[in-house]
Amino acid sequence: MHIELAKILHQTLFGALAAIGFGVLFNISRKNLLWCGVAGGLALAVRTVGLQLGGSLESASFAAALAVGAVVQMFQEKIGVSRNTLDVAGCIPMVPGGFAAKAILGLFALTAPVPIEPDKTLIVSVEYFLRVTFTIGAIGTGLAIPSLLLRVRRSISKETPLPAAKP
Amino acid sequence: MHQPQTQAAPQSIEDIAMVSMEFGKLLMESGAASAIVDEYVTRVATALGAESVDLRIGYASLAITVRANGSGMARMRRVGGIGVNQRLDQAVRQCARRIESGELNMSTAADELKRVVRETPRHPGWFVDIAVGLACASFGRLLGVDWPAFGFVFAAATIGQFIRRRLIARQVNVFIAATLISFVASVLSGIGSRLAGSMTVDTAMTAAVLLLVPGVPSLNAQYDILNGRPTLGSARAVWVVVILIFLTIGVWLGQMALGEGR
Repeated sequence: MHIELAKILHQTLFGALAAIGFGVLFNISRKNLLWCGVAGGLALAVRTVGLQLGGSLESASFAAALAVGAVVQMFQEKIGVSRNTLDVAGCIPMVPGGFAAKAILGLFALTAPVPIEPDKTLIVSVEYFLRVTFTIGAIGTGLAIPSLLLRVRRSISKETPLPAAKP
Repeated sequence: MHQPQTQAAPQSIEDIAMVSMEFGKLLMESGAASAIVDEYVTRVATALGAESVDLRIGYASLAITVRANGSGMARMRRVGGIGVNQRLDQAVRQCARRIESGELNMSTAADELKRVVRETPRHPGWFVDIAVGLACASFGRLLGVDWPAFGFVFAAATIGQFIRRRLIARQVNVFIAATLISFVASVLSGIGSRLAGSMTVDTAMTAAVLLLVPGVPSLNAQYDILNGRPTLGSARAVWVVVILIFLTIGVWLGQMALGEGR
């Protein structure tokens, strides 16, 4: 359990690049792409530190999403970008798409005419599935918590008055 | 503030319903979560004079009941393909705020929305292709792809995104398109990185198809469920799973073609 600075910088840089690339795909304006990069870099930096401190991928992703959600919540007014945009662009590099593909590939391999080491393949596949599910769950929940806690709900809707009870 | 009509005729209640649902439709199609859609539809309808608004958000349709001046009306609206377009999302929200400030009214709001849809800028196609290529190559590095394979993941994903744009333009079914793109991108990435002497050919093949992973819908699915809309959240989650299966079929075919993987 030790902090490896070069690795953190590497992950931060490529997390930022991935977030910017996806920001372009999501049609985020050029001036806001920089903030996507900041959010993506922050997410990967926190996640990498979490992993190096001995955390699981899921818990490190949760901490990273929580950090991105909280920072975006604090600065979004100043930056002038919607919370949703930065949250999503920042956390996209943590979505474990590769694991999902490997999990499904494992299931395909199980149905081969002569499966090779089927019990091992099944365990690995299920493990990937669980990691994908828990990691996405951790990211979504981590992002949602700051906004659920801090959002000041504007009273915008007039509730339908209930009809008066008649005796 | 815009003054709500004192005598809202049935016609204008219908207008309130249709204009506010147009906002909801555009927000859904640009990738907004249900809480945002609900918030903005309610804000627009209220600013246009509705006393109460009840909205049902489905995956492919919206239904609304608007009440004003003692009468009410229910209407439904179809939602088109759900994508991600943040600048359109922002422009639609800005439009809603202009209705609230009284700058836009019922008759000008619909035209303004049409203008926003027409004029909201998009990044040039080639720029998106390169950016997506770079994103996938970066993903590759995050997953441990070595440097010899890096450039090939970039090239394969760039070509993959180029093909995706062409297929979308031809309105090819999104699931079939996912398999085609992932097959081409994984094979190109696999061949290139193998020739370059990479030790991580398998991961490079997977990294090149990550442009297809539906990150926004998978996060929206959770937001929707956490915000009390499990039906919409489940529909999004099912869509995500099916896309992932079709994507993986492409990679699987690519691995068989190259004799990689299992």
